[in-house]
Amino acid sequence: MIDHLLLTPDQRDALQEVTNIAMGQAGSQLAQILESFVQLSVPRINITESAAISTGIAQLVGTPQSITAVRQAFNGTLRGEAMVMYDQDGCRDLADLMGYEDDLDGAADRELLLDVSNVLVGACLNGIAELLQAKLSFSAPTIMAENVEVGRLINPQQLTWNYALLVEVHFTLEVRDFTCHLLTLMPEESILTLKSALDTFMENF
Amino acid sequence: MPTPILVVDDSVMARKMLIKALPSSWDVEITQAGNGIEALAAYRAGKAEVMFLDLTMPELDGYGVLETLQREGLNSFVVVVSADIQPMARERVRQLGAIAFVKKPVNAEQIEAILREYGISL
Amino acid sequence: MAVSLGDFIVSEVNVGVFVVGRDHRLQLWNRFMAHHSGISSEDAIGHSLFELFPDLPQKWLAKKIDSVFVLKNSAFTSWEQRPYLFRFAHNRPITGGIDYMRQNFTFMPVKNDAGEIEAVAVTLIDATDSAIYQMMMHTAMQKLEESSNRDGLTGVFNRRYVDMRLHDEIQRIDRYHVDPFSVLLFDLDHFKKINDTYGHVAGDEVLREVARRAQAVLREPDVFGRYGGEEFVLILPQTDLSGAYAAAERIRFEIAADTVASGDERITVTASIGVAQYQPGVTSAEKILSMADEALYASKHGGRNRVTVYSPQQPVTP
Repeated sequence: MIDHLLLTPDQRDALQEVTNIAMGQAGSQLAQILESFVQLSVPRINITESAAISTGIAQLVGTPQSITAVRQAFNGTLRGEAMVMYDQDGCRDLADLMGYEDDLDGAADRELLLDVSNVLVGACLNGIAELLQAKLSFSAPTIMAENVEVGRLINPQQLTWNYALLVEVHFTLEVRDFTCHLLTLMPEESILTLKSALDTFMENF
Repeated sequence: MPTPILVVDDSVMARKMLIKALPSSWDVEITQAGNGIEALAAYRAGKAEVMFLDLTMPELDGYGVLETLQREGLNSFVVVVSADIQPMARERVRQLGAIAFVKKPVNAEQIEAILREYGISL
Repeated sequence: MAVSLGDFIVSEVNVGVFVVGRDHRLQLWNRFMAHHSGISSEDAIGHSLFELFPDLPQKWLAKKIDSVFVLKNSAFTSWEQRPYLFRFAHNRPITGGIDYMRQNFTFMPVKNDAGEIEAVAVTLIDATDSAIYQMMMHTAMQKLEESSNRDGLTGVFNRRYVDMRLHDEIQRIDRYHVDPFSVLLFDLDHFKKINDTYGHVAGDEVLREVARRAQAVLREPDVFGRYGGEEFVLILPQTDLSGAYAAAERIRFEIAADTVASGDERITVTASIGVAQYQPGVTSAEKILSMADEALYASKHGGRNRVTVYSPQQPVTP
């Protein structure tokens, strides 16, 4: 039933490479912001059923006790949502690394999370779009949840799609125990668009 | 005699892109590797006079390959080809003995310039 | 035609639109901005945004705009984090209850053909209505939450809430290593007899009055709740045993100081109190409550209307 949605091995490989290139740009901007060397991950790609979305996300990001997530919608050639997830220590580290004092209030703390997430999402997805000759625009990022379990982040009953493509990358700092995950989710119709964009991209090589 | 070169990347696509960007006049015998462990095996088999090496890979990453080569006495021109454009990444691979750093996506002129700079006959 | 149509919309749309260059000078200033700021586009264009609006958070906003030039990526701000940048009046002057128009901004890179960023286009969306709705919802939620945290009879916190705060307090200590807290558990003496003698209405009045008298002694950070029946609990943050003992003595004294009036009756009320202190790493929430309970038990056995401080030498069950 979902055969037409599955990526061929070539498409998967190409998407992984395109994501890897885009992630390099995002990572370099994060490194500039945090003034620290950022380690990049190998991108992971999954197709998930809506009912299994929470497990799918938990598999990709692991299950830290609780996370804070920022979401940002994108549309244009491709449509979907990006989420940036930080664990509790991650949020604190971020403020620390940016030289904020301890007495950072809630609003400033959130603004910082939103700004950093926006930079990561923008750099990564614009990078992918550029390589695939797609055009994207972004909505304002919003805090999706604060300090919730990964499993409770998305309520599968509220979803209006059946299958989605999940792309996960994460950024790690070696100086301290900081990791944040960037997850991109695209529903069915965008998967089809993406597949044909990947095919066009590969034809050039 | 063709120069044995090794292209190391976990992505087939990336290897294709790189191979396509190599100067057409260059007489080479190309071997490909999908991770660091395969790369070291090919190197030990004498297939890597010039190595194009990705950094982010499963199993053993590019840094790991460079470290091993350095430990065992580097005997290969290693050009790192990576999406990681942080200045510190560049600095690190140089310290580990790589002769050059090429940013992904690769372009043919850049590769040719590097090869000429190191007197590799094309 | 298409160009002028675009110009028309940018000029007339009910959204703030302006464009700034690298030097922060304005290149475009639409009617919405002119209307709300009182500065016409003729007076605005060519001038520095920060000279025209000295009230703007210049350091922060300049950095935001500059980041768009550097990162070539849109940036956003939301009223939820930063309520407004411009001190504009809003469209709910009477019913609003908030000072200035709540504003959401998008900062977009304007690219030339070579892909370089020439300017930053900014849109301002009036989010006052959303802010007001959210404020109303927030108040309603707070009331709801507040009422679900309260004991219906006495109005002090209920057991669920106190338990939650107890766990929070333990976490706070384990994480930030602040001074340990103490817990005080108290129980009205012979309450069953009061109920049997004067009836439940009088019994309820006694509980309410005792809660009032205890509350009068408390400090701001103290958490006071009814733990069920005639039992009350008090968490005293950053309080050692001697401080907690002093507070317990005052509460005991206040409760017994006067009779409680119910109808024509004058009811004598006393309380027995147990005090225990949290030991980091050693004590769990359950453990500290059972320590305070043991001390309370000792107070009862020692003749009631008294305070006992928990000590490990105390017999667990006599």
